[in-house]
This record gives sequence, structure tokens and C-alpha cells, in this order.
Amino acid sequence: MNYKLLFKFALLAGDIMLKNGAETYRVEDTINRILRTSHFRVIESFVTPTGIMATLDDPSIDMITYVRRIDKRTINLSKVELTNDISRQYCQGNLTIEEAYEELLTVNKKPTYSKITLFIAYGLVAGFFTLVFEGHYLDAIVATVIGCSLALIHFLFRRYELNKFFYDIVGGSVIALMAILLTKVIPFGMDMNVIIIGSIMPLVPGVAFTNAIRDTIEGNLVSGVSRAVEALIVAASIATGVGVMLKIYYMLQGGVGL
Amino acid sequence: MIIQVVSAFFATYLFSIIFNISKRQLLFCGICGAVGWCIYLISLPLNSVVLSTFLGALAVRILAQIFAVIRKTPVTVFLIAGIIPLVPGAVLYQAIYYIAQGEYDNVTLYGLQSLKLAGAIAVAMVLVSSTYRPRRIKRENNGLCSKNK
Repeated sequence: MNYKLLFKFALLAGDIMLKNGAETYRVEDTINRILRTSHFRVIESFVTPTGIMATLDDPSIDMITYVRRIDKRTINLSKVELTNDISRQYCQGNLTIEEAYEELLTVNKKPTYSKITLFIAYGLVAGFFTLVFEGHYLDAIVATVIGCSLALIHFLFRRYELNKFFYDIVGGSVIALMAILLTKVIPFGMDMNVIIIGSIMPLVPGVAFTNAIRDTIEGNLVSGVSRAVEALIVAASIATGVGVMLKIYYMLQGGVGL
Repeated sequence: MIIQVVSAFFATYLFSIIFNISKRQLLFCGICGAVGWCIYLISLPLNSVVLSTFLGALAVRILAQIFAVIRKTPVTVFLIAGIIPLVPGAVLYQAIYYIAQGEYDNVTLYGLQSLKLAGAIAVAMVLVSSTYRPRRIKRENNGLCSKNK
């Protein structure tokens, strides 16, 4: 048994899953399952949203311990799915360790949705959510336009690797600004609030929120709290962006001051 | 209401694309979202918003678990997609709106409301996670090997 390769395989699997939005307990479970196939005596893994620590030890080998820092996290659930599938196939004995490692290396190169698809998806998500929250279909069309511009900002921020929280602030303020301007320009009775509510849905921290709850339930308190804080900061960033624009709008209208 | 449920389906379906969920699972993600929102809407006239959100989240959680077993996929995939319509984004926005207007009574009202909704979703997830859990591997040997010391 090539235990070093096994260890590398387990860590890479954990790395991919953690980077792409899996819950912490699932990452720990996957690493433990893979390492367990070695039948060595000591198998430990400790995972937080920002790092992986794992140890493998046995009387027959030198102890291996590895710490890996995770600094960038995105959401790409298809990679989580694929990694889960490969590790499961390996643990069931359908793949050898070399095959499984080779396959895992290709996961990162698997094509994702094209920019055009994402662009349309962002727009229509905003539009359909406006309908979900009882908006008029004209509101939905405006929200679609705003959603598409949100996609453009997203691409821009991803290309220059800018801070995610900054993206939420900018996204929120652009949504509010466009909603205010468009409802002023187009002379129909449109509801600005519904448009904004529908359009901020792509920014709402649903994944961080869901994972925070699930990690806490599983007893991973460190991960649960840190993800909850992440969700809170994202919500606060969106609030700042939208709030600032609304505040300026009401000030220009001569509305009430803070 | 039919329009709302159908839009919830498409909204969740398209949201799954933003999360890069693979094409094979998109349909099931959409169904999760639509069913959750449908249950929420049906129970809304009978109950409070919090209880309706709880029932909706419970439906999503159970359905996600069933789909996860059928499709042999991590339950997260369906859960994250399905829960999105129920996440209290709208209430949060109302709170921000009243901060901008300086009406702090309403800020407290909507701020607490969003906390209550988040709590309702959390409880719904706890219920299913505690009653159903897949087989986990056990830890046998804690501590280090004595021979290596």
C-alpha cells in the first residue's frame, strides 16, 4: 500500500470539498473513510472552514501529519458531488488508489457552466424571485435587467480577484441604485421594494447559513460559529450597500434623517 | 399561487446553476424549492409566518433526504437549493429599509422576525438530522501509537 499517495488523495479530496461549499463534518467523514482503507491504527482529521489538519500513524510507518490552509472558498457543488462519488467508489473497492487519485486530479478541470448561462441564470433568478414575492410581471422584467448587471459585476470581481465582502457591498448598492433609477424612468406603477427584494436573492448568504446550522448540529462548533459569522457579515454587507443608496435617495427627496 | 409555485421552481432551478450543481440534479433541486414554497403558501393562511416557514423547511429537508438517497448525491446539494426561497431575505431587506428611513420600531420588528425565521429553519433541520442519520465510521483508536513514541 502506497500510504503517502493515500494520504495525498485524502487531503486533496478534503481540499476540493471544503473549497467548494461542503459542510465540515462531511469533509472530516470523507478524509476518515479514505484513510481507514489503510487499516492503520491512528487516523485523525480536524477540519475547520479555513484549514485541514490530518494525521496518519502506525507502528509500521513514520507518522505523517499535514496541515493545509484554505484561504479561498467558492461554491461549486458539482465538484463536491464528483469528489464524493470518487471517494465512495474508492472506499467500495471499485477503483484502485492510483486511478482514484488520477480521477480526482481531473475534477478541478471539469468544465463549469459558461458565462452566458450564468449571465442568463443571474438575471432570471432575480426575475423569478420577484414573481415569487408577489411582484407584477413588469417588476420581474426590471429585476431581470438588474440581475444581469449583477452577473457582470460578479464576472468583473472574479477576474480581478477582489474581496467577496466588497462584492456584496457593491452588488447591494448597484441593485438599489438601478431599482430606484428604473422605477423613476419607466412611467408604470412599479414597486421598488419588491424589485430590490427579488434582486438581492442571488447575494443572500443561503449556503453559509445552511452549512452553519448543519455544522453546529453535527457538533462542529468552531465551524458552525465561523460560518454563522460569515453569513452575518455577508448580510451586513448587502445591508450596507442597499441601505446607503436608499438613504441617499430619501435625503434627496427631503425625507426623514437618521 | 400557481404562478408563485412555478416561479419558485424556476428560481430554484436557475439558482442551482449559479451554485454550479451538475445538470443531472437541477430538476430535483427545482422540485425541492417548489415543494417547500408550496407548503409554505398553503399553511400561511392557517398559521403564523414562522410556523409556515418551519413546515416549508421541514418539507424541503425530508424531500432532500429522499432525493439524496435516490440520486446517490450529498444531501447538501438539494438542501442548499431548496432552502433558498425560504431564507429570510425579504424580511432582512425590510429591516434595512426602515433603518434607512429611521423608523427604529419597525427595524426591531423586522430584525427579530428574520431571527425567528432563521431559528425556524434551523429547528426544522435539527429535527430530521437527529432522527435520520446515515451510518458513520467509528473511531477506534484515539491517541497515538505507543510503539512510535
